[in-house]
Amino acid sequence: MATSTVEPSTYIAPPPAEETYYEAHEPTILGGGFILAVFAVWELYPAIFGLSKGMKLFFATPSDIIAALYSLLILNEKLPMVGTIWQHFNASTGTFLFGLGLSIIVALPLGVVLGRSQTVDAMFDPFITAFNATPRLVFLPIVLIWFGVGFWTVIAIVFLGAVFPLLINTYAGVKNADKLLINVVRSFGANEWQINKLVVLPNSLPFIIAGLRLAIGRAILGVVVAEFFGGTEFGLGVIMVQASQSYRVDILFAVLIIFMVVSLLITAAVKQIENRLSRWRPAKIKTF
Amino acid sequence: MSSYISAENINLTFRPKNREAVTALSEFNIDIEQGQFVSIVGPSGCGKSTFLNVLLGLIPPNTGVMSVNGRTVTGPGTDRAMVFQEFGLLPWRTVAHNVELGLELQGVAKGPRRETCQGFIKMVGLTGFENHYPHELSGGMKQRVGLARALASDPDVLLMDEPFAALDAQTRDIMQAELLRIWHEAKKTVLFVTHQIEEAVYLSDHVIVMTKRPGRTKKLVPIDLPRPRDYEMRVSPRFNELKLEIWNELKDELSVGGDEDSGHA
Amino acid sequence: MNAWIYEKRRLLLGVAAVILFFLVWEVIFSGLVKLNPLFMSKPSLIWSGFMYDLKSGKVLFELMVSVRPFLFGFIAAVVVGIVVGTFMGWRQKVGYALDPLMTALYASPLVAVAPLVIIIFGVGVPGKTFLIFVLSVFPFIFNTYAGVKAVDQLLVNVVRSMGGNDKDIYFKVIVPSVLPYIIAGGRYAIGRALVGILVGEFYAASAGIGYMIAFYGDMYAIDRMFAYILIMMVIAVAFTEGIRWAERAAFPWRVGM
Repeated sequence: MATSTVEPSTYIAPPPAEETYYEAHEPTILGGGFILAVFAVWELYPAIFGLSKGMKLFFATPSDIIAALYSLLILNEKLPMVGTIWQHFNASTGTFLFGLGLSIIVALPLGVVLGRSQTVDAMFDPFITAFNATPRLVFLPIVLIWFGVGFWTVIAIVFLGAVFPLLINTYAGVKNADKLLINVVRSFGANEWQINKLVVLPNSLPFIIAGLRLAIGRAILGVVVAEFFGGTEFGLGVIMVQASQSYRVDILFAVLIIFMVVSLLITAAVKQIENRLSRWRPAKIKTF
Repeated sequence: MSSYISAENINLTFRPKNREAVTALSEFNIDIEQGQFVSIVGPSGCGKSTFLNVLLGLIPPNTGVMSVNGRTVTGPGTDRAMVFQEFGLLPWRTVAHNVELGLELQGVAKGPRRETCQGFIKMVGLTGFENHYPHELSGGMKQRVGLARALASDPDVLLMDEPFAALDAQTRDIMQAELLRIWHEAKKTVLFVTHQIEEAVYLSDHVIVMTKRPGRTKKLVPIDLPRPRDYEMRVSPRFNELKLEIWNELKDELSVGGDEDSGHA
Repeated sequence: MNAWIYEKRRLLLGVAAVILFFLVWEVIFSGLVKLNPLFMSKPSLIWSGFMYDLKSGKVLFELMVSVRPFLFGFIAAVVVGIVVGTFMGWRQKVGYALDPLMTALYASPLVAVAPLVIIIFGVGVPGKTFLIFVLSVFPFIFNTYAGVKAVDQLLVNVVRSMGGNDKDIYFKVIVPSVLPYIIAGGRYAIGRALVGILVGEFYAASAGIGYMIAFYGDMYAIDRMFAYILIMMVIAVAFTEGIRWAERAAFPWRVGM
């Protein structure tokens, strides 16, 4: 009887199919390729199809934008408006850091208080809900009246944008602190301050960092919008308004790309910090 | 007659603002000699864990006096340390840092603290795991950390609140043997709360049987098995007699379809 | 009675705090501090300002001006967002291709294109609609994408093993699992859409709630300005809390969304 059985010991599994370079890098290739394709169409469209006279005014090809970025960032040429791009960049960075710093100083202590006291929490809740739901931009006109045109108005808008995500996340983190762990450290004789230091803060740190990530996004948004309307002399938002009014679409997009890159870089950096700080957590809940 | 740990007429009623008051302990009395291993068994919700919290100083009783070595308990103190059922390890701290918690809170400097704790980590058999985070450990290892942490602050009394309830059966057996070894080595007075009669008999010098809520001491059963104890002892006739004696005391207290979860692994 | 108070304690405290807030505000500027009407207002003045504009029909008119572009832009964002997101989740290659670009766009402060959009589309409905669309489409894209990807293959197999056809799988598994994601996305999108309408109306407009806030601000008519700010806040809270409530009511099986 000739049966074609394969003895277990002689059976050799076929080697796993070699993964091609494409298969290994499919997401990168497709993602990068799509972005390149978009740029290519954008670049070539006017050359192939031509643009109406009106549209020409509003159009800048990627090469125009890169040229603008090069001359502004690398050659540090003067803008057609006022100053150099770096002066505006520094002004915006200053506003961003100041406003964000202020919101951290306010949000962290307040968040801890709200998280630890049910009564204070219940009383603040409607206000936080209302302010968090409303775009803070709505307060711009009143902020302008109170703080006057210029620096402090911009700071106030950035602050209002960033403070709520931080506050809400700090609060959630504190509230989420494990009762058992609080009892554990109490049983070892910890006082209220030590309970906060040993349990409440470490426990809420991942929440706070996640809040920080949100707050940074909101703060950048705040810088842009506040500089649109805030009446400061320097700032990237100021440049954008002026560039669009003088039909310098290349400069407008150049600044937009600067914002984009900065946002992505900061977000990635915070994400990095988040991962470092959550080494103690099992991997599956690391991303918040 | 003054005993080492004594509870005199402890009464404790919880009064949640919007719900019915619950009397957890009523006229609760206990006397324990120094160096003894005493277990408390009782039906679910009888207040045995609550009693440990009173002894630990986390919950003040309404009336009655709780004292250890002649000193009245008014709050947590370094003479008592607890091993918690759900381990209660700080997840963001490594094993070594968790063990150091008690000494850190006593203000012991970093150097000596580390050195002391190294010894206790060795005692519970965790050398080599100092820099692991709790989530990287098995349940049994976590409870070894909990034990080392409690011992590291050198308490006179070790309180254990169903410390092995969250472990699987084999790990539990190993941990019981380990606990006995460590108890011999460290010479502490141990108060051990458990659901398991067998565990209580195997480990203890005395077993206290509690009534159902409101909890009161029903009977003190002396365990006259010789020490050191070994695993074979668990199948000896005397062991089973003691188990039966405690079961007979306990079974009247177990309400059928009890209102609380008694399904501990 | 006591138990009722305890149960509603949170709510009562919140309501009390809000009433207290307006009361204190009113009292402070009714004698304690002299009110400078070019700088500050108080609830009673705001209320009468609001009633004045309400009776003249102005509130409703301005509201309608803002609502139209809001609806157009938002509905376009829902449709486009769900279609694009579904494609991305359904066809892996599409997801790979679009993900980086969309992420970059989502992370960047897109409000920044507002000046350009206004210049191209003008200050009317089209400009605002486009702005609102651009700002609110990304939450829908990303949440739909995440939702489709998260559909539990096991559930698909369960339905299939019981003899379900594609339609059953679609309606009994996919839609119920994706819908909560989309609605949660809607909550984010509302906030961004409101930013869009404000930027559009602050920047260049001749009517609308946002415009009125800016206009009365320029006029130093603080009471009227506060009235419109509060209208905006009420709308925003109604939207977000409304969605939250609907989420809880419609998907009680979802924990911690």
